[in-house]
Amino acid sequence: MAEPELLLDSNIRLWVVLPIVFITFLVGVIRHYVSILLQSDKKLTLEQVSDSQVLIRSRILRENGKYIPKQSFLMRKFYFNNQEDGFFKNTKRKVVPPSPMTDPSMLTDMMKGNVTNVLPMILIGGWINWTFSGFVTTKVPFPLTLRFKPMLQQGIELLSLDASWVSSASWYFLNVFGLRSMYSLILGQDNGADQSRIMQEQMSGAAMAMPADTNKAFKAEWEALELTDHQWALENIEEELMSRELDLDGMFSKELPTGIF
Amino acid sequence: MEMRDKLRKWREDNHRNSEQIVDVGEELINEHASKLGDDIWIIYEQVMIAALDCSRDDLAWTCLQELKRQFPGSQRVKRLAGMRLEALEKYEDASKQYDSILQDDPTNTAARKRKISILKAQGKSAEAIRELNEYLEQFVGDQEAWHELSELYINEHDYGKAAFCLEELMMTNPHNHLYCEQYAEVKYTQGGLENLELSRKYFAQALKLNNRNMRALFGLYMSASHIAASPKVNATVKKANVKYATWATNQINRAYQLAGRGTKENKCSVKAVEEMLESITMS
Repeated sequence: MAEPELLLDSNIRLWVVLPIVFITFLVGVIRHYVSILLQSDKKLTLEQVSDSQVLIRSRILRENGKYIPKQSFLMRKFYFNNQEDGFFKNTKRKVVPPSPMTDPSMLTDMMKGNVTNVLPMILIGGWINWTFSGFVTTKVPFPLTLRFKPMLQQGIELLSLDASWVSSASWYFLNVFGLRSMYSLILGQDNGADQSRIMQEQMSGAAMAMPADTNKAFKAEWEALELTDHQWALENIEEELMSRELDLDGMFSKELPTGIF
Repeated sequence: MEMRDKLRKWREDNHRNSEQIVDVGEELINEHASKLGDDIWIIYEQVMIAALDCSRDDLAWTCLQELKRQFPGSQRVKRLAGMRLEALEKYEDASKQYDSILQDDPTNTAARKRKISILKAQGKSAEAIRELNEYLEQFVGDQEAWHELSELYINEHDYGKAAFCLEELMMTNPHNHLYCEQYAEVKYTQGGLENLELSRKYFAQALKLNNRNMRALFGLYMSASHIAASPKVNATVKKANVKYATWATNQINRAYQLAGRGTKENKCSVKAVEEMLESITMS
């Protein structure tokens, strides 16, 4: 069953498709630079830095504790987990959960994020819809069902037209998501024009700095540390070492800078 | 330009070949300043630190002026100014400079570390140890600082605490044979049967991580023969340690044979090593 091929005016290609691509791209680049300008500095307090490092140290103790003697491992575990004055039991940080409504800096950050990203998208989408309406722009290469027609063919009132033929608004949205990889090529990773990533972040919801979680993190570390046991990796090391001859290849070659000592 | 690449490589590898940096950098700055573009600022910083190392105060001063002009309020530049004051031995002024940096930004680790090195340069090691301990209480993850502290403790002959610092380093870098070896040496110096056993194990670990570590091999031999010679051990332990010592001797011999192939001087040193090993085993 051959589909009737519509022949589109080549002017459409010249004056619609390409301008939309350019507009999307330029708007993205401008958004990136604007977001850099509006970014507020994130200052970490001494306590936060110190806490994060302590957590790292405790994690390392759990993972690599088997390389130090049993006595030392127990000493450190005791320091962290002791009932009376262990570090994790005693240190309670003042917790101010940064809810978006009360914390002013978070609020302004969110507002700036919204303004720079969502607002232009809506504005430009609407403008394009208004300007380039009333005709078919392009055809998506795969067949779509009729349910997509009202979504993708805004402004075209032809009941018999295949849903594959879409209007300019949908071409604009295609561009927004498609040019994301172009942005990372040109602007480097982590650029401010990357809208879909930002939307994903908003959906996952968690706040970036986790001061509220410090107490929970401490508790989690305490539990994990209680459970770890000390398996000394050096138990039978002499046997392992002496089971074969040492590999002394290349030790005294002329080019080697002395890495022996 | 190869000079620029050379400087970049030295910067990234953290080489401290200050004289070469000063030569290359000075030429680069004087002749080709316009062609460097934005790289010039980081080159200024690198050359300035090297110039301070070589006592080239004039060069350091010019670099600092240029950087101050370009980045007037920067803390990085302030730290460089403090370093220059340190080099001129104006320790009070340098200390004040670092204090002002820390007032603005209490998490600035560079300034705190410079303050501690001022104390070390003045020879006040007890105070330096105290300050470093405080620093480490806040920044437990700073490995450079742990290493520095272990060195300070070794100089004060406080081997127990030095061993603690080295344990931290070993935990964070389990595959670094040098830390294992240093730890084993500290334990060996502490003495006592338990510590000797520990040191033998850690020498063995260092050897396992890097088969060519001659120092660890000798250390293994020494600790094993020491334990074997000690009167307090029972027969099985003694036998095991003699076995370890003989194995170590064989490996040392093998290494010296390998080194000795060809050159005449080495034949003498091979013989010297054999005699030395025999004499230790006898006693």
